[in-house]
Amino acid sequence: MDKLLEVQNLNIQFDIFGTHVQAVRGVDLELNVGETLAVVGESGSGKSVTSKAIMGLNPSPPGKVTAGKILFEGQDLVQYSQKQMQKIRGKEISMIFQDPMTALNPTMKIGKQIMEGLIKHQNMSKAEAKKRAIELLSLVGIPNPDKRVDEYPHQFSGGMRQRVVIAIALACNPKILIADEPTTALDVTIQAQILDLMRDIQKKTGTAIILITHDLGVVANLAQRVAVMYGGKIIETGTIDEIFYQPKHPYTWGLLSSMPKLHAKIDKLLAIPGTPPDLSDPPKGCPFAPRCPYAMKVCLDHMPSYTHISETQKTACWLLDERAPKVDPPKTVGVGGK
Amino acid sequence: MGRYILKRIWYMIITFYVVITLTFLSMKLLPGTPFQNANRLTPLQLNTLKHYYGLDQPIAVQYVKYLWNFIHGDLGTSFQFGNTPVIQMLVAQFPVSMDLGTEAMIIGTVLGILLGIFAGLYRGSFRDWGTMIFATLGISIPSFVFAGALQYCLGVLVQLFPVAGWGTPSTHVLPVTSLAVGILAEVAIFMRTEMVEVINQDYIVTAQAKGLSRGAVVFKHAVRNAMIPVVTILGPMTAAIITGSIVIEGIFGIPGIGKQFVSSITTNDYPMIMGTTELYSGLFIITILIVDILYGVIDPRIRVSGGRS
Amino acid sequence: MANDNDTITQGLFEPVGADTQVSEHISGKVVSAWRDAFRRFVTNKGAVISMIILALIIILALLGPHINKYGTNDQNLLWSDLPPKISALSWMPMFSGKENGVDVYKDRGVKQEFWFGTDQLGRDLWNRTWAGTQISLLIALIAALVDFLIGVAYGGISGYFGGTVDNILQRIIEVISGIPNLVWIILLILIMQPGLLAITIAILATNWIAMARIVRGEMLKLKNQEFVLASRTLGAGDGRIIFRHLIPNSLGMIIVNTMFSIPAAIFFEAFLSFIGLGIRDPQASLGSLINTGFTILQIHPSQTIFPGIVISLLLICFNIVGNGLRDAFDPKLRR
Repeated sequence: MDKLLEVQNLNIQFDIFGTHVQAVRGVDLELNVGETLAVVGESGSGKSVTSKAIMGLNPSPPGKVTAGKILFEGQDLVQYSQKQMQKIRGKEISMIFQDPMTALNPTMKIGKQIMEGLIKHQNMSKAEAKKRAIELLSLVGIPNPDKRVDEYPHQFSGGMRQRVVIAIALACNPKILIADEPTTALDVTIQAQILDLMRDIQKKTGTAIILITHDLGVVANLAQRVAVMYGGKIIETGTIDEIFYQPKHPYTWGLLSSMPKLHAKIDKLLAIPGTPPDLSDPPKGCPFAPRCPYAMKVCLDHMPSYTHISETQKTACWLLDERAPKVDPPKTVGVGGK
Repeated sequence: MGRYILKRIWYMIITFYVVITLTFLSMKLLPGTPFQNANRLTPLQLNTLKHYYGLDQPIAVQYVKYLWNFIHGDLGTSFQFGNTPVIQMLVAQFPVSMDLGTEAMIIGTVLGILLGIFAGLYRGSFRDWGTMIFATLGISIPSFVFAGALQYCLGVLVQLFPVAGWGTPSTHVLPVTSLAVGILAEVAIFMRTEMVEVINQDYIVTAQAKGLSRGAVVFKHAVRNAMIPVVTILGPMTAAIITGSIVIEGIFGIPGIGKQFVSSITTNDYPMIMGTTELYSGLFIITILIVDILYGVIDPRIRVSGGRS
Repeated sequence: MANDNDTITQGLFEPVGADTQVSEHISGKVVSAWRDAFRRFVTNKGAVISMIILALIIILALLGPHINKYGTNDQNLLWSDLPPKISALSWMPMFSGKENGVDVYKDRGVKQEFWFGTDQLGRDLWNRTWAGTQISLLIALIAALVDFLIGVAYGGISGYFGGTVDNILQRIIEVISGIPNLVWIILLILIMQPGLLAITIAILATNWIAMARIVRGEMLKLKNQEFVLASRTLGAGDGRIIFRHLIPNSLGMIIVNTMFSIPAAIFFEAFLSFIGLGIRDPQASLGSLINTGFTILQIHPSQTIFPGIVISLLLICFNIVGNGLRDAFDPKLRR
C-alpha cells in the first residue's frame, strides 16, 4: 500500500486571550491511496483542527503548528507557504464541510462556485469549466444539471446543497477528500444518500477519504480504518473490525456503548459521564482518566504509550500494561467483545 | 418582482401625498397672514389680495386647488424674490446642490467601503483601531463644526483652498470634504461590521479550500456579500446629505437649495420653505424606493422570492 | 510516549474510579448577564474615559454659570468681542487675553477676566457655553425619555399583540418614517415658533421610531421562544410575561439604542439652532453660539472654538459610551 499522507507528531496550539489551547498534541496518522480513514471523537477532541491543519486552513493567528510534520507525497505541508498551499488546496486535497446551508456563497451561482477551482487549477476556459461543472453536478446526482448550474444556493435543499459542496470538492480530481462531519447537519434519510454517494464516488475516482465524525454509524458505513481521538490525542487506532469488535480503550468502549443498536436487549443508551478536558491546561496523564471508570493512579500523571495489539491496531492505555488489573469491556460493547 | 415594485411605488405615492397635505395644512396653521407688511394694508386691500390668491374660499376648495396646482408644478411664488415662482428658483438651484451632494456621496461611499474592508480584514489590530477612532470622530463631530474648522484651517490660516464660492474644482474641495466625512465614517463602520460578519462565514472557508488566492477570496466572496447591505443605508445617507448640505452651503456660500432654504427660514418666505420641504421629501422618498428595488436586484435571495414583506 | 519505567511502580496500578461529581464540575464562576456586561464595560478604556468626560461636562454645565459674577444675558458693549483670558493659564496663547499679539484687555482697559471671552454684545461666553450645554443635556434627557416611554411602549404593544394592532401601528410608522425627520421638524417648528418647546415636541414626534422598530423586532423574536412558552404554560399572564421575561431580555438592546439616539437628538437641536430654527437669542444653545461665532470666525475665532469643542466632545463621548455598551451587552458584535 502506498502512503499518500502521513501526519507525524502534529502539535497545534491556539493562542486565545492569553491562554494557549493545545488543541492537538502529538497526533500520528497515515492515509493510503484509495482508502477511507475515519477520525472519531467528540467535539473538542481535536479532530477538526487536525483535518483543517492538513489543508492549512486553521486561522493563524491564533492557530499555529508548534511541532510535527504533515507529509503529502513526501512533501512537508507544514513548511509550505500560503501560495504553495493554494496549489494543493482544491487540487490535491479538498474538503467538504459540515453544514451545507452555510458552506455555499449565497450570492454566487452554483456553477460559478464549481468553476472557480477548475479555472484556477486546470487553466480551463469558462466554457470548458462550465461543461465540467455540469458533468460534476450530474456525477453527484443532481437532476437537470444544465439548468441548475445557473441557480443560486437558496434554490437547493440541504441534501442537494451538500451534493453541490461535494461537486466543488471533486472538481479537480483531488487525491484526498477530507469530509468534516459531512452528514451531521442532514436529515437521517438524506444522510444515507450522501454516504452512498461518497462510496460511489470513491469507487469511480479512487480518491482517498479522511472522514471526520462523531457518529460511529457513519464510520461503519464508509471507513476501512479508524482513529479514535480524545483530548487532542489519538488514543486508539485500528481497522474497522478491530475497533468495532476488539476495542481495547475504555473510551472506545464508551463510544460504542453510547451508539444506539437496533437489536440490542438493553433498554437505555449509556452515556460517558463527565466533560472533555480543558486543553488550555491539558492533563499530565491520560486525558480520559478523570472520566474513565477503570482509571488508576498511574493514569492521572503519566500518559500511557501505545501498545501494539496487532499490525494495524494500537492503543494508548495503562490497562494494557501487564501490571494492571484485568478488566473486561462492558457487555454493551460490540458483538464479539472479549 | 414587478408586483413588488408596483407596491413600493404605490406606497411612495401615498407617502408623498401625506407630505403635500401636511405642508398645505401647516400653511393654513401658520401664524399671521402670508402677506408681507400685512399690518400696513387696509382691510380692503387685504381682502382683495386674499381673493386674488383664493384664500377667501373654503379650505376644501383651496386644498383641491392646491393639489391641482401642485400636479402642474405650481408651488406658488417666493415672497422674498419679487414673486419669482418657487419652482423656477428650485430648478435653478437644484443642479448646484445635486453636484455637491453626489460628489460627497460618491467619495464618501467609495472611501468608506474601502476603509471598512481594510478595518474588517485587520480587525482587532492597530490598523482597525485607528480606522475606527477616525470613523467615530467622523460620525460624532457635527458637520457645521467640522466645516468651520476646515474652512478656518485650510482656507484662512493656510490659504490652500478658497474660503467660499462654487465653480472651479478647487472651490469644491472643502465643502465636498466636509459633507463626505460623515458619510465616509458611517459607511466605513457599517462596512466593517458586515465584513467581520461575512469573513466568519463558512463559505469563506469553502472558498479558501478551493485553493483561491487571498485576493480572490476577499474580493469575489467576502466583499461582494458584505457590500449588499450597504445599499440599505443609502436612505438615511440621503437624509444626512440633505441636512449636511443645508449648513455647508451656508458656511461656504454655495448658491444651492440649502443656502436658499436657510434664508427662506430667516425671512419667513413660506412658499419657498414649503417648496423646498416638498422637494427634500420627494428626494428622500424616491431614494428609499430606489434602495428597495436595488436591494432586490443585487441580492439573488430576494430577487427570486419576489421581495421582502 | 516513552515513560520512565522506574517511576511507574506497581502501586500506581490501583484503580481510583471516576468521580463523576468532579468530572461534571463546571469550572469558572457563574456570572449573571448584567454583571458580565458591567465587567466588560468597565474594561473598555475608551468608554470609561468618555463617561468621566461626560460627567465633567455635566458638572460644568450645571455649576459653570454660577461660579463667576456675570449673568448669562448681561450685556456690556464696553466688553464686546474680548478674547479668552485666564490669569493662571496666561502662559498658554489660548488664554493669554491676546489676539494677534495684542493684549486686548490692556488696550481696552478691562480689569475683569473672561475665561472663554465675550461675544459681540459683551456677554460672557463661559456662561453662555455652559447654558447652551444645559440645553443640549436637557435635549438628551428628553430624547432618552421619549425613547423609553413612547418607543418601547409602541414597539412592545405592536410586537407583543401582533395581528391587526401590529398591522395598523406598522402602517403608521411606515408613513411617518417615509418622510425625513428634518421635514417633520421644520413643519412643526414653523407652526409653533422656534424654541425649546417646539424642538421638544419635534423630538417627541419623531425620535421614538427607530426604538419602536427595534423593540417590536425583539418582542417578535422573544415571544415565540421556549422559555416564554414555558412560562405561559405555567399560567403566566401577559403582564408577567412582558415584565418578567420580555422586557428584561430586551433591556440591553433598549439601553444601547437609547444611548445612540441621544447624540442624534443633541446634534439635531444644535443643527436647528445653527440654521435659526431652534433656540434663539437671548437664550443660548451650542448651535446658535457656533452660528453667531461663524459670522466673525475670521476675526475672532475663539468665539466658535469653545462651543464647537464642547458639542464635539459631547457627541464623541456619547457615541463611544454607546459603542462600549453595545459591546458589553452583545460581545458577539465586537469580535
